[in-house]
Amino acid sequence: MKALAFLATVGPMDGDRSSAIAAAQAGDLAAFELLMRQHERMVLVTALRLLGNLEDAQDASQEVFLRLYRNLRKVESASNVAGWLYRVTVNICHDLRRRRPRPVALDEIAEPAAAGPDPQRSATEAERRSVLELSLRMLSEKERAALVLRDLEGLSTEEVARALGSSEATVRSQVSKARVKVREFVERYFRRHV
Amino acid sequence: MNCRDWEERIALYVGGDLAASEAAEVERHVADCAGCQVFASGLKQSLELLREAHQEPLAAAHFAAVRARVLAELAGERRAWWRRAWVYGLAAAAAVALLVAFAVRPGHAPQPRRPEIMGQAGRPTPPEPKVQVAEAAAQPKPVHRRPQGRTGSRQAAPPVLGARVEPVMVKLETDDPDVVIYWIAEIRGDAK
Repeated sequence: MKALAFLATVGPMDGDRSSAIAAAQAGDLAAFELLMRQHERMVLVTALRLLGNLEDAQDASQEVFLRLYRNLRKVESASNVAGWLYRVTVNICHDLRRRRPRPVALDEIAEPAAAGPDPQRSATEAERRSVLELSLRMLSEKERAALVLRDLEGLSTEEVARALGSSEATVRSQVSKARVKVREFVERYFRRHV
Repeated sequence: MNCRDWEERIALYVGGDLAASEAAEVERHVADCAGCQVFASGLKQSLELLREAHQEPLAAAHFAAVRARVLAELAGERRAWWRRAWVYGLAAAAAVALLVAFAVRPGHAPQPRRPEIMGQAGRPTPPEPKVQVAEAAAQPKPVHRRPQGRTGSRQAAPPVLGARVEPVMVKLETDDPDVVIYWIAEIRGDAK
């Protein structure tokens, strides 16, 4: 009942996120579920880009949220939840890649929310997804993480550096190399397929 | 400067990662270099394509599956914790109940064994000679005191006049059958 009342009052605002953290810290699973809903897209999609397949990305996301629950006391405010989650997601994906090194077939690439009514458009979207996945696979693990966080998730260079535990200069270097490699891949891909 | 040398800076420029002065320098070069214009345009297009693909929403079921797995695991951990707490609580309560029951059980409380008097040690003391009480009272003998050199050492009490002293052996049996304590004592009492 307490949890339901809490869910009814909590919105997406930062103050409410802090309330969700406080309630989850007190052991309220409904509040923790709300916290997961607020960050699940960020965690799962980042993991998907870093790992390249949905099954592993879901495993990684599960581990990230379990770790969040067990470390809620360390996450003091709503503003640093995202930073904490990005850092832990990158670390868990790194560990998972070490444990399960495997090439990923293209048909393992996650399906979008729903197939559109326009087959032409659906085909274009599918191709775009393939290009995204394949071009990320061309990168080293560090270049990939830097590009995903900086260019796809839109973090600042400083935030990326914090999430990856490296310097801003290193991140800038990794990002620029990754962009050049992605451009080369995309050009080659369309030269071959169009 | 070779156009290769501009690649890194152009790549940073298209992502908005350069300071204003450096960005202006890159813009000046790109404006004058057709090859770098193509390069910069290719970078922008590929980044745009990746961002669009990244923005495509995933099916809600993928998120729900993760949520369900996390919540199931947390609920399972809680159940296991409560189960452990119950088991430990019950075990502690049972242990306390056993201790209490054992402690209050009549005749079972651990009590020291009563010493068993085995008998008189050695030969019975010959009857003491009659004491001339009156004489002793009339002519008190000088008291011989032992030197008080050592402190804390016990001194035997002087025999009481008119008392009978009987040595007895006391046998103390302990719980350990290998340990038996023999104690030779004196029983003092009036000679009758």
